[in-house]
Parts: sequence; C-alpha cells; structure tokens
Amino acid sequence: MLPQLLISGIAVGCVYTLVALGMTILFRSTTIVNFCHGEFFMLGAFGVLVPLQLFGWPYPAAIATSLVLLLVVGSITERLLIRPLKNAPFVTLAMMTVALSFFLKGVSRFFYGREVVSLPPLLSGDPIELGDFATLFPQDLLVIGFTVVVVVLLAIFFARTRLGKVIQAASQTPRGASLVGINVPLLRNVMWAAGAFMGAAAGILIAPSTLVYPDMGGTMLIRAFAAMCLGGFGSLPGAIIGGVTLGVLENLVGGYVSSSLVEITAYLVIVIVLVIRPQGIFGEWKQSRV
Amino acid sequence: MKSTRLTALASICAIALATLCTSASAEPGITKDTIKIGMFGPLTGPTAVGSLPLLGASAIYKSINDAGGINGRKIELVIEDDACDPNKTIAATKKLISQDQVFMIHGGWCSGTVMAIKPELASNPNLPFMVLGAASAAISTPVRPNIFQPVATTNTVADAIVAFAATKPNTKRIAIISHSDDWGKSHLDPEVAKLKAAGLEPIEIAYLERGQVDATSQVLRIKNAKPDIVIANLYPPELTAYLRDAYKYGLRAPVVTTQGVSVEDMVKRVGMAQATKELFVFYPLNNTLDAPAFKPWIDLYKKYNPNDPVETLSFMGMTGALAVVQALKDAGPNLTQENFMAALNKLKDFNPGIQSGTLTFSPDQHAGIREGKVIYMPGAKPEIVAKYPAN
Repeated sequence: MLPQLLISGIAVGCVYTLVALGMTILFRSTTIVNFCHGEFFMLGAFGVLVPLQLFGWPYPAAIATSLVLLLVVGSITERLLIRPLKNAPFVTLAMMTVALSFFLKGVSRFFYGREVVSLPPLLSGDPIELGDFATLFPQDLLVIGFTVVVVVLLAIFFARTRLGKVIQAASQTPRGASLVGINVPLLRNVMWAAGAFMGAAAGILIAPSTLVYPDMGGTMLIRAFAAMCLGGFGSLPGAIIGGVTLGVLENLVGGYVSSSLVEITAYLVIVIVLVIRPQGIFGEWKQSRV
Repeated sequence: MKSTRLTALASICAIALATLCTSASAEPGITKDTIKIGMFGPLTGPTAVGSLPLLGASAIYKSINDAGGINGRKIELVIEDDACDPNKTIAATKKLISQDQVFMIHGGWCSGTVMAIKPELASNPNLPFMVLGAASAAISTPVRPNIFQPVATTNTVADAIVAFAATKPNTKRIAIISHSDDWGKSHLDPEVAKLKAAGLEPIEIAYLERGQVDATSQVLRIKNAKPDIVIANLYPPELTAYLRDAYKYGLRAPVVTTQGVSVEDMVKRVGMAQATKELFVFYPLNNTLDAPAFKPWIDLYKKYNPNDPVETLSFMGMTGALAVVQALKDAGPNLTQENFMAALNKLKDFNPGIQSGTLTFSPDQHAGIREGKVIYMPGAKPEIVAKYPAN
C-alpha cells in the first residue's frame, strides 16, 4: 500500500504544486495574495467542459481555448479591478480578489448550478504496473510530467532570463524599476495573465480525475495555501516541495492514521508551520528598517 | 401640544387597524384565496441534484392549482436556495417564517441542514414542517409535533442495505465508507448496530468528507481489508470520487448505497459503466421510471419542468406534497395550522403509488415510510432487486 500511496500522493501533490505555483508567481511579482485563484482553476476546467459539451470540439482545441481564455481573464482582472487600486492597502486588494472569487463562482453557479460533470481522461491507455507494489496511471503520468516541465520552465525564466529578473526586481522596488524605464504595470498585467494560465492548467489536468463543478476551486485554494505555507510564501521551490509534500502527507495520513483526518491535513499543516517555522521550509524572514 | 396629541391619536388608530387586520387573518400565510407554502432545497452547489425533489413537489402543488386549488384556495410557493449549507438553511427558514410569513414549510434535502433548523422549528411549534427528502432518523425521532418526515429514514435505509448486503453468498467481510457528518453518522450507526446484531463486525470503516475529490487513501485502506461488499454512505460527488478511484485501483467489491443518490445520475457522473455495474442503490420508489404505472407521474413532472432531468430523485418529494394536499383538503375551509397538523396525524396507509411503501403519520410516529427496495443498472435499464443478483 505504501508505494501506491506515495505515487498517488505525488500525482495529487503535483496539482497542488501547479495551483500554488500560479499563486506564487503572482505573489512574487505583485505581492498580492490572490484569493480568486481557486476560481481561475475552476474556470480552466469549465473552459474545457463547455466547448466539449456544447460544441463537440476535440480535447486539444478545447484546452487551447480554455488556456487562452484564462490568459485574457487574468489580464482583464488586473487591468480593470486591480490596477485602479494600485495605491490601496493590501487588505483592500485581498478583498477585491475575495469579491471576484465569489462573483466568478456565482456566475458559474448560475449556468451550472446543478451540474457536477465528469470529463473523459486526457490520456487513455493501460496503467503501468510497477512490480507488485503500485500502479501508475497515464493521467497521473501526464500530471507529473506537465508539472516537471512547468517547474523547469519557471526556474529558467526567473533565474536565467532578463525578463524574469526584471519582473522580480520590479516587484521588490516598483518605483525604482519605473525610474529606469521598466513598464511595471505591463509586467504586473503579464503576471496576472500567467497566474490565471497556471490555475487553468491545473484545473484542466485534475478535472478528468475528479469532477467539474462551480465550487471545485475552494478546496484547492486551501491546499495551495497550505503548500505555500509549508514551502515558504513566495518561494518557487517552496511551492513545489510544499505541494508534493502535502499530497503525499494527505495520502499517508488517510492510509495509516485515519481517513477522517485527510480533510484537515491541509489546515493542520498551516497551523503547525505557522507555529514552528512561520517562514516555511524555503521562506526567508524579510526585515525592513523604519 | 396639539401636534403631539394628533400624533398619539394617529398611532393608536394605526395600532388598532393593525390589530384588526391581524385578527381578520390570524393564521400566517392564509388568505381567502391563497395558502402560502415556503420551500427550500439545494438549487445550486455540488448537491444541487437535490433540487429535483423540490421540482417534483412543486409540480404537485402547481397541478393542484391548475385543477382549481384546495377548498377555494390556491397554493402560493416561496422557494429558497439553501445549497445544502446549514447557515443558508437557517437564514432561509428565518426569512420564510418572519418575512414571508408562510403557512408551512416543505423543504430540506440534506439532513444536516434540517438538523440545523430544528431549534428554529422548536421555537415555532405552530409552524408545520414537511421534510422534502432528508432522511436522518434523528429528524423525526423523538417526535416533534410540527415536523413530519414522509421518506424512508436512515434507520429504514440501514435495515434494507444491511439485509441486502447479507444476501450476497458467503458474505462475511463488509466494509463501510461514510461521511462523518450528521447524515453519514445517522446511516453509519444503525448499519453498524445491524451488522453486529447479525454477528458481523465491519472490517473497515473509512471516512470521506464532503468536498473531497480524491479517495485514494480510503480506497486503498478498504482494498487492503479485502471486503466482500462495501456499504457507502456518501453524497453523489464523493460517491463518484470513490467509485472512480475504486475502479482505478482494482477494488471490485460491490457497493450498496443510500437513497441520497440516483442510480441513473451516478452512471452518468462516473462515466465508466464497469465502475457502476455493481452499484446497488436503496430505491425509495415502487417502480422503475420506465414502468407504465409510473408514466402519469413522469408526465406530470415533465409538464411543469420540461427542461429538467427526470430521475429517481425527481419523485422523492412528491409523496410529501401529496400528503400536504390531502391534509389541506381534510382540514377543510376553516384552515388553521393546528387542524392541518391534526389532519396529517390522521394519514394512514396513504399510498398515491409513488413511494416504495405506504405513508402513515400518527401523533407518536412522524417517520412516515418504513419500506424500501434496491435498484441497480446491469445494462442500459435499471432493475429493482430484492436480493443480490446471481451472475
């Protein structure tokens, strides 16, 4: 049972990682905690479901449409709702994302209130038997593979590319970045679009394994927060380690301690980390001089 | 001074007028030509499939209106969405009682939500409350004079499920997967008691909480226990997750589950015929939906809900609505909440032909139905079975 719990935990944890990464890149570049990221996740899944169901499109076209749609949604969100509040306190920005979260959920409930829909697997085929110990399913393989690709690309982007470095610099000293001619609002807009894109990608990947419904983002948001807390808020390696660890931890707790504890594992992680190491595994204390 | 006296006089007149108006229609929700009935159920959210019984019950009320009403009065419905969220249910109930001033309430699909409003119903003992589909035995046990439950309760369901599981040849190892909330426990406790009474101990009890979409650890625990059959006390979204994961990890034990789901809906949701082939669902109706005897009810439902799906759950609120209609008729033109509840308490062997058993209320018994069957989907059509089918 242990190998299977570990492998399944890693697959689920990869989804948590993708959601946490979407929130992390936004947090790193804008210092905003996005409470409507769960709804980007939900919209990604619905963005695939609607063309599949209503128009009978093939999966690749539906996925491409959904991802492009969420890029646009992220960009519009920043331009219309966040940018006008650029000088507002963080709590105001956070409340705006909370309001947007409820709005998006409400809209999807309006159209799909009663529906809890399943999607066909993105990858079909025979499961891969790992000896007598565990089975790896094509869908899980896809999730893990996609996460690895995203992690590598993000690492290269932020560490090796000029744009990645500029984005990080602009988030740390936006005024300084503006003075040297960097278009900070544009960069923030791009990062909102990228964050929404990441949320959508995670939603698309997990939807065939679970179900698609308007409230699917809430649970995932808590998991992503727990992953970020565990790994360290704003840390890319932290989001990865945090997400995978949480997925594995949930499975091990459910498998060996009590299945009734699975649901509260994420909350327990948040509480324990905040008490023992508030900055998380990879986070750093930021001190400022007044 | 003069102005003060005038104001005082006007106030007295207003109070007197208000008192007169109140005494002219002392019963809330009743006018010369209307009876206001409040309804609530999950119209949105993951358990919104529970809106189907509400649609079925409201179809009955609308058909009564189209036929001329009851004793010269037409039924006016006020419908609220509680999304199976206890907080929303409490708010909806308070609104129906205080703002809409309904004559009675017919609602509640999720047991947890009905349990949450029991204190509110206790503080309004004159307000009749007819349960829409919530099955927890704790709703009507012990008896509350104003709460009526026209569905098979969890005790009845547990009896039927355990008895059915025992009909599978050589069944010794029974596992249970359940929610841990009020609704889950209201099934789990009597199931465990019944199993123990039959000399069986559940070999594994796993919990899958509401909103969980991954059942891997629960499935692996149950698979490790090597069950002959699994009893599932889960709502539709979580049962879907369990069935999909069970199939994925090669757990092939048959599953027996409660009336909280519909077999047709589950087959559609799970999307893998093999995963639902041995899913047995407690069946609260007396016929499959394609039986000729059931056609009039389907036609009636479709007439008022032409765009909504027709499933087992669509008919679960109808018997309660028909009982309400019968009691409204029996209470006569001088309708009061008191004589309406007295009429409900006299319903005996009421059988409009929808539920699996007859409905009987009495002052000592408000759990009205105590029979049920089991249904499954071996092929394209569902079949009602009394015992585990031989292959």
